[in-house]
Amino acid sequence: MAFIELKGVTLALPIYDVQGRSLKKKIMRFGRRNAIAEGNDGVIVVRALDNVDLRFEPGDRIGLIGRNGAGKSTLLRVMAGIYAPSAGTVTSEGKIVSLLDISLGMDENSTGMQNIRLRGLLLGMSDAEIQAKQQSIVEFCELGDYLDLPLRTYSSGMRVRLAFAVSTAVNAEILLLDEVMGVGDAAFMHKAKDRLHDLHNRAEIVVLAMHSNAEIRNVCNKVLWMENGRVRAFGTVEDVVSAYEATV
Amino acid sequence: MLFRALVDLKNSLASWRLWTLLGWLEVRQRYARSRVGPFWLTISMGVMITSIGMVYGTLFGMEMVDYLPFLAIGLVMWAALSQTVNDGSVAYTNSGQYIRQVATPKLIYVLQVAWRNSVILAHNFVIVLVLLALFGVKNWMTLPLFIPALLVYFANALWMAMICGLLSARFRDLPQIVQALMQVAFYVTPILYRPEALHRFSFIVEFNPFAYLIDVVRGPLIGQAPTALTWGVTISMAVVGWSIALALTGRYLKRIPYWV
Repeated sequence: MAFIELKGVTLALPIYDVQGRSLKKKIMRFGRRNAIAEGNDGVIVVRALDNVDLRFEPGDRIGLIGRNGAGKSTLLRVMAGIYAPSAGTVTSEGKIVSLLDISLGMDENSTGMQNIRLRGLLLGMSDAEIQAKQQSIVEFCELGDYLDLPLRTYSSGMRVRLAFAVSTAVNAEILLLDEVMGVGDAAFMHKAKDRLHDLHNRAEIVVLAMHSNAEIRNVCNKVLWMENGRVRAFGTVEDVVSAYEATV
Repeated sequence: MLFRALVDLKNSLASWRLWTLLGWLEVRQRYARSRVGPFWLTISMGVMITSIGMVYGTLFGMEMVDYLPFLAIGLVMWAALSQTVNDGSVAYTNSGQYIRQVATPKLIYVLQVAWRNSVILAHNFVIVLVLLALFGVKNWMTLPLFIPALLVYFANALWMAMICGLLSARFRDLPQIVQALMQVAFYVTPILYRPEALHRFSFIVEFNPFAYLIDVVRGPLIGQAPTALTWGVTISMAVVGWSIALALTGRYLKRIPYWV
């Protein structure tokens, strides 16, 4: 049985580029508490997640909502195992596939076909699996002979088609999606929606971050509302989305 | 901690298809649309060996028959080592886009560097083979020793790359320092000159770990079996180096995504 459980997960992200803040700023800030804290070595630390407790069960279709910078993407990355939490534990069972960035692992000088393999391997597919799925990927992206041309000749819409086709071919028990809608032209959008639906049906747990409340009402059965790295609300779609809409 | 690094190493090795592909891609990218492709490496290395060989061979008053193979093997092998370490120091930072997007084992990025440089070494090694064919093999008996020697050599290059990559991900000045140090190491290691030529400065060779590394791979090809001391030094370097590299990797594995 697939599940993901987060217990007291806190994530402090160190930001190394902004070192050496001025003395003036320090004095100005004196006595004021700031959400963006400074570590003792002068590195800025952002508390992206703060004591998050969650458990997702099979059958859950969770919509992640919240303002920009609320910690939605960070939460997905923690669940995907990219970021290890600075405190707390993440336990999970089942193959996790995360589609966080549509342009991941695309090589400009390789052909479309070679990119299918590269991206497939990066997403954790085996060679046999890629071979087996190649045909359906080729059919889905409708790029035809362009697949034998290097990626640098592709338009941005064509890249998205290819990337989307490969990513959604993966068999996942837990699927983490970050704003993947809004790809390609109108005809492809329609296809993409169908494909995502199909994907949702295959996976046991789906977590998706999205800004379209209508879409969330459509596909999710639970909603998680993040605010400032904390869970503001977690419950049925109607309750949480209505409460969220009331605040914006 | 060590256990965590070993698990990562095991998973990394298992996804060999990924790092061999990534390694290849980079070689191919560099020579995309050029007619002879990666053989430009062979050509430029060949030109360098010939010119250095002519100048220094004359300068040191050496027999070309002896000096050219000696120089070629030294330069080719050194290029592989120093490039692995230099590339290794940017292994994680250059793969940041992958590391931040997918949860892959981390050591694949170091293995990718090693693979790329093995491919490059294979191209450069053509020169060594040509020279051995031209000037003849000194001693066939010592040739098989080259295989274990090469393994020890690469094992050493790998741990250096692992440590440099990890520390460079956090401290971005390190790749520059590593590059400068490798340049210095090149001059104090007997590659252009014979170790005996140092006379009273022979301590430069005796206390230089790189001198032993070069000696272990060069010896078998020029008909000198590496001494027990050379084997001992290089193998223990590999063992100690790997232990430190794995311990460090295990300790900081989880920090890598934060750093890149």
